[in-house]
Amino acid sequence: MTQRQVQLRLGVGALLVAVFLAVYAIPAWVSSPSNVGNVILSPLFWPYALAGFTGLAGLGLVFSGLRHEDTDTPVNAPSENPNAAWLRLAGMAVIMGLTMTALPRLGMVLTSMLIFVATAFLVRTRHPVTAVVCAVIIPLVLYAFFAHVAGVAIPQGNILRLP
Amino acid sequence: MSFLDSLAAGLSLVGNIESFLALFMGVAIGVIGGAIPGMSATMAVALTLPFTFAMQPITGILLLLGVYKGGIFGGSIPAILIKTPGTPASSATILDGYPMAEKGEAGRALGMALWASCTADVISNLSLILFAGWLASFALSFGPPEFFTLILFSLTIIAGVSGESLLRGALSALLGLLLATIGLDLVYGTNRFTFGDPNMMGGLNFIAVLIGLFAIPEILAMVWHPTAHVGTARSLGKNWVSFADYRRSFKSIVRGSFIGVFLGSIPGIGAAPSAFLSYSEARRTSKNKETFGKGEVEGVAASEAGNNGVAGATLIPLLALGVPGDVITAIIIGAFMIHGLQPGPMMFILNVDIIYGLFIGLIVSSVFLFLIGTVAIRGFKYVADIPKRILIPAVLVLCIYGVFAVNNNIFDVGVMFVMGWVGFMMVRYHIPAAPFLIAFILGPLLEDNFRQSMLMSGSDPSILVRGPITWFFWAMTLLTIIAIVRAGVRAVKGTPALTPKVKD
Repeated sequence: MTQRQVQLRLGVGALLVAVFLAVYAIPAWVSSPSNVGNVILSPLFWPYALAGFTGLAGLGLVFSGLRHEDTDTPVNAPSENPNAAWLRLAGMAVIMGLTMTALPRLGMVLTSMLIFVATAFLVRTRHPVTAVVCAVIIPLVLYAFFAHVAGVAIPQGNILRLP
Repeated sequence: MSFLDSLAAGLSLVGNIESFLALFMGVAIGVIGGAIPGMSATMAVALTLPFTFAMQPITGILLLLGVYKGGIFGGSIPAILIKTPGTPASSATILDGYPMAEKGEAGRALGMALWASCTADVISNLSLILFAGWLASFALSFGPPEFFTLILFSLTIIAGVSGESLLRGALSALLGLLLATIGLDLVYGTNRFTFGDPNMMGGLNFIAVLIGLFAIPEILAMVWHPTAHVGTARSLGKNWVSFADYRRSFKSIVRGSFIGVFLGSIPGIGAAPSAFLSYSEARRTSKNKETFGKGEVEGVAASEAGNNGVAGATLIPLLALGVPGDVITAIIIGAFMIHGLQPGPMMFILNVDIIYGLFIGLIVSSVFLFLIGTVAIRGFKYVADIPKRILIPAVLVLCIYGVFAVNNNIFDVGVMFVMGWVGFMMVRYHIPAAPFLIAFILGPLLEDNFRQSMLMSGSDPSILVRGPITWFFWAMTLLTIIAIVRAGVRAVKGTPALTPKVKD
């Protein structure tokens, strides 16, 4: 991805966001009382104004991207193995998704232990035993602090119930 | 209340073991966090924030300020020993710090970094004490139009100087402002982008957005490239900094401190540009110009004075005007809000004890920084040995606990994850995250002051240019835009491609 491509993609993206907001999102998802006399005081005014400015920023980015001299220099240094990197990222997305599903069911402590181990192995840790030990100790220590010192009601789940 | 009464009130608030312990712990956490490559002062402050919920306001804020101060210095340790800045602010320290380490003088470079940091810290704190009250008393006469133009000016400068281009910074700020519109309307109480979900009606949780933007992208970057941040630490060597070194560099340290104070008090500029400006000024005026870049101790002193001079000064706009100058002060404003405090001119009247308590704590933090820094320099080997691939999952778990603890709400954890991916994409597309976060915080204030102005004037926009203060901020906003656009045009003409900043 070159500098020119970054500018153009961001510009087009900003324009699309602006159009989506103005045409669909604001009319559908922002409600305004019918008796608002002045448009400037309406709850719709600020989102429309921001959408307009986002569109202007998008136009500016497209314009500056078109004027930018294109070079082969990528803005991000190339990865050694992009396929593996994308797979790891996808793995992380799955871990996050599973975390949201598991938190109310397994509780925060057990879920944290599992995602600790999963993340450590995802980033190919060279200390697997330390990772497992830390995966058990760190969530327990955090539970002790937040539940007993800060008074936060940490979700317990159905399997593991801690004092 | 007289000055002495205010001072006594502040002293009674912080004159206990709990406050000083929090400050001490904060500096220690900051130095360690800043010294770990891949973490940063920002991340350290963000991760410490949830631990302050259960504390007294002053204790929690002192803990965070300690982390901030420690983090800025801590970043210089890996910059000198492994050529990797622990925080962006320490980038200039590498220029002479690492060549000194290669010559076996790492101990001398680190010692000078510590002495320069502490000196700059004291100067910066004194500037804060001197100017914040004056600025706050001036800001007491501000009404909604003045605050609107002030916030607009702050956002413009933050958007303009935070990243590589004004347009990307502006896009980032606009996205932050859009995100801030989620929730109930400030005047009519109608829904805006809430999708009927009660979790969205109060707006997105600030802590979830902030931790998502600044901690989760680091985790994703580690997942993308697990062997990044691997480096070999140089030994400290036998040479240590002498008083003669300090005396020789003193002029550069003081100059760098004042550069830091000046740039730090302007919202958005931050520590890294200050460190580079201080370094270049020291090189320009030094008798030993030719040795700069090859291991000149004065270069280390100037860089560190420049970046630490910012630390106290960024609190000037925060405390006096309620405008965060950078990301870390944006996090600290969050701590104020969590404890029901609103920084700004009124705080100097309503919570003067907290203000003076903070001033006292900041002065003491320089002493703690000196003590802890001395130990940290020798103990860096142990910090450098912490396996990053264990640290990252630990950070993830800490983020989940911390974000959940704000509202006891799993929804916030989801917001954090989503914002993490947004932050990661922003890094990949070189969009600065600071304008996004600061606009997200200031967005409701900006809109509120705009609508209040319109209500006051019966929707007559001329109220926004009603007097010298608004004229001043409009003029500054225009000047900022012109200056940034001109600098951008010159940069494009001079260098067709920007320097790569992010490693895939």
